[in-house]
Amino acid sequence: MDDERYLDSTLTTFLDGLAARERAPGGGSAAALTVAFAAGLVTMVARSSRDVWDEAPGVVAQALTLQDRASSLTDSDAEAWDEALGALRATADPKPNADRNGPSRNYKLEQKLERAAAIPLEIAEIGADTAYLAAQAAEHGDLAYRADAAAAAALAAGGARAAAHLVEVNLGIRSGDERLARARASERAATEAAESVLASIR
Amino acid sequence: MPPSGETPAASRLSALTDAELVERCRAGDAEAWNELVERFSRYVYAVTARGFRLSEQDAEDVYQEVFARVYTHLDTLRDDSALRPWIAQLTRRLCIDSLAKSGREQPRDVENEDVRDRTAEIDEAMAVREALGTLPESCQEILDRFFAQDQSYRTISSELELPAGTIASRIARCLRKLREELET
Repeated sequence: MDDERYLDSTLTTFLDGLAARERAPGGGSAAALTVAFAAGLVTMVARSSRDVWDEAPGVVAQALTLQDRASSLTDSDAEAWDEALGALRATADPKPNADRNGPSRNYKLEQKLERAAAIPLEIAEIGADTAYLAAQAAEHGDLAYRADAAAAAALAAGGARAAAHLVEVNLGIRSGDERLARARASERAATEAAESVLASIR
Repeated sequence: MPPSGETPAASRLSALTDAELVERCRAGDAEAWNELVERFSRYVYAVTARGFRLSEQDAEDVYQEVFARVYTHLDTLRDDSALRPWIAQLTRRLCIDSLAKSGREQPRDVENEDVRDRTAEIDEAMAVREALGTLPESCQEILDRFFAQDQSYRTISSELELPAGTIASRIARCLRKLREELET
């Protein structure tokens, strides 16, 4: 997708980019955008519930903040993936004079992998917070918008789950890593919030 | 105890209104003058660097000039409670002079819509910051953690030892207090 920021592109261009053979944008960007969509829906529900929910204005501010954070990670994740892949390729360079075992190169690779794991972790945590707010919106918001709140919770949980998976498969993550535990905890929290909302309206 | 390393004297002075601060500056209180500079330095810097986007050198020159003029002309301020708008106007005027002098802009183009939007945002941010300072410490902390430090509900809950399910509600209630403060 050239050098255009995903957030500045049209949705069609972004979807074309997702479907293209290039690695980025990929799962992380899609997860970030999914969480941003969910936060947008929570904002809509809260904005439409000011007459029935005292905390609605405060929820609007929080949901907008989460939307902003998640959407900005759409680009960051793709950049981090690009950089990590570049570093991995450089390490695996078969050319005889390639400095693939140099400590400095390994250090740089670790740094890139670290960043590539940190971003999906952040997406998972924002997904958990968004799912929680969506559940609150479903419980306290205007009943006419309850289905949108439930949709928001389901989307946020999906985004959190996808992001937690990306943390798990990152090469910089070993079993027992604290970041993986945090990602899994966020995934669980988001899933529980979404399931409680969906169960309550079935 | 005053927060984060503030001395007791500085803590007392930071509680003064603008008018009380002006009165003490006029009486030659050096600590009051330091408090005045501290209170407005971030605002003046933001308007010069982010509002008018002056070069680093020009921004520094304007910054120095603003406080030099405030110091020498404080006696001419007719309404002591109008210190803030007076400093805001002085800063804008000196930024416009600086841009015109450097030849980057024609005087009539200097304060265009973009600059006005940016300085309005800075004014708003400063008003929010000031109102934030009047809220209970617990509210300042939770709002800062969520909105400025980008912390998740889980992190806030664990660091402040609060039940996880209450964080969003607490933030909403603190935002309501902040709004009430801004509307008074």
